[in-house]
Amino acid sequence: MNELDPDARVMREPVIERPPAAIRAGDLARVATRSLQIQAFLSPERMQGLGFGFSLLPVIRRIYPDPKARGVALRRHLHYFATHPVLAGFVLGAAARLEERRANGAALTDDGIDSYKRALASPLAALGDPLFWVTLRPLAGLLGVIAVAVLPHPPEGEPDLRVLLCPLVLVLTYNAVALPYRWIGVSRGYEHADRPDVLLRSLRLAELKTFLERAGAFAFGGLLALLAAGLDIPSSAWGRQAGGRVLELTPLLLGGLVGFVGMRRWPARSVEVGLAALLAGAILAAAR
Amino acid sequence: MLPELLCIAVLGGILAVDRVAGWSFMLSQPLVGACLVGALIRPGPEWELWALRVPIAVGAILQLLLTNASLPAAQRPHDTAGAGVIGSAVALLGLARLHPVLPISAAGLLWVVVGVAAGLLAAVAGGWFARLSGASVASAANRADALADQGALGSFERLYGGGLVRLFLGGALWAWGGTLFLLGLALWVLPYLAETFTARRAGIVFAALLGAGLAAAFHANVRRRAHGLRWAVLGVVVTFLLLRAFHAGPDVGAGDSPGGAP
Repeated sequence: MNELDPDARVMREPVIERPPAAIRAGDLARVATRSLQIQAFLSPERMQGLGFGFSLLPVIRRIYPDPKARGVALRRHLHYFATHPVLAGFVLGAAARLEERRANGAALTDDGIDSYKRALASPLAALGDPLFWVTLRPLAGLLGVIAVAVLPHPPEGEPDLRVLLCPLVLVLTYNAVALPYRWIGVSRGYEHADRPDVLLRSLRLAELKTFLERAGAFAFGGLLALLAAGLDIPSSAWGRQAGGRVLELTPLLLGGLVGFVGMRRWPARSVEVGLAALLAGAILAAAR
Repeated sequence: MLPELLCIAVLGGILAVDRVAGWSFMLSQPLVGACLVGALIRPGPEWELWALRVPIAVGAILQLLLTNASLPAAQRPHDTAGAGVIGSAVALLGLARLHPVLPISAAGLLWVVVGVAAGLLAAVAGGWFARLSGASVASAANRADALADQGALGSFERLYGGGLVRLFLGGALWAWGGTLFLLGLALWVLPYLAETFTARRAGIVFAALLGAGLAAAFHANVRRRAHGLRWAVLGVVVTFLLLRAFHAGPDVGAGDSPGGAP
């Protein structure tokens, strides 16, 4: 039995005839808009549970006319829920579809809906976290920093527009990839609620991650080359003044060593590693 | 200074909502926060050049240092959004106020170093500050259950909206308080160290920070990536070829920009 197939798990009784409750496109758009705030009450106990319920409210209001039934439906979605915030829309859309069916009489149990949500949320988190947090965010930051080096300095007396352009490069890079997923998430999840396996495959997240990983490594190489060019490292002067140049580059190399060893040993403590590099630089500066 | 602090507070609030509430537009990245502070705060017409270059450099170094490739759950609870805003604000507000006692030759790089240091301290302290407000989330969850049981959807929405406002106010309060505290600390401590801060020493510390930032970026973008080193080498070669083709490298050196190496 396919774990992701809701009908196989939770269909227990025949569908009861009653007036159909239909979700409109506007409701799904409102769910997508609300999903931008899905983590406002993030907690270890429920993660995005409260945000999930908040995001789904437009749909709940549409399909359940009775206030008591609305409350029960909301309560169903306030439990533990965790996925990547950018991809949460796909689960919201699928959950909206299940709620619609339930409102129309399908015998979907609370546990069935919850199991379906978890079964879809887990692979989305497993694919989304490495893609958006681990790969795309560092790449976007790196491109923002590269923009500092490559954008032209302004002429004397004119404002330095890099102060706006560099953050813009960062934000646009990230959102050029992330926003389309947020935009289509709810409607695509609603549409493919019956075929979550097809939905997951159609996102092509693993392929995108591979591409972005390569782009990140390539961009880092570009940054190193820009820095080396700025320091005039490849020039002929390097050969003639090797001793002096090494001495000049000592603080850079020392900081690099502290950063490399520190991040390798404590990968989650970048702030502390930065402070250690600051201290190492200060000691070296005091010694000279 | 009140208008500047108000701008910093509003910006801090917006970035906190972006970081915590789930907008995740990456407005909360240190480079963005630091540069926006540079665009909003005007320390005075005589500082026009540094007023924009110092925040760019502070943001770039913090961005390299704080881009952590670990998953959020594995990271220490650091406030990277506050780091950029507070670091840049301390540098810009301190720049104009401490100019008489600090040597002009060290002004650019020194204030970049001060801004980065303030940003790193703000990231650590901001994590503690965020933890303080964690308890209110648990009680809100219980209240949300009760409201759902009553079918009071409107009240639930108001509760949720209140949570967003709380996030905004928390971020604003931290940006405002953190800037004031670290600026006060800088104004108190730096005059005693004025003799020590030469341009050369500031340059050494700056270079160490840049080196650490590059190492952090290496970890985030190259290490543990499939064929990462190969692609990084390709990036070096292609960039050198492009630089050669255009006959001029970009000005990364400190002679012109505080964003470059000393």
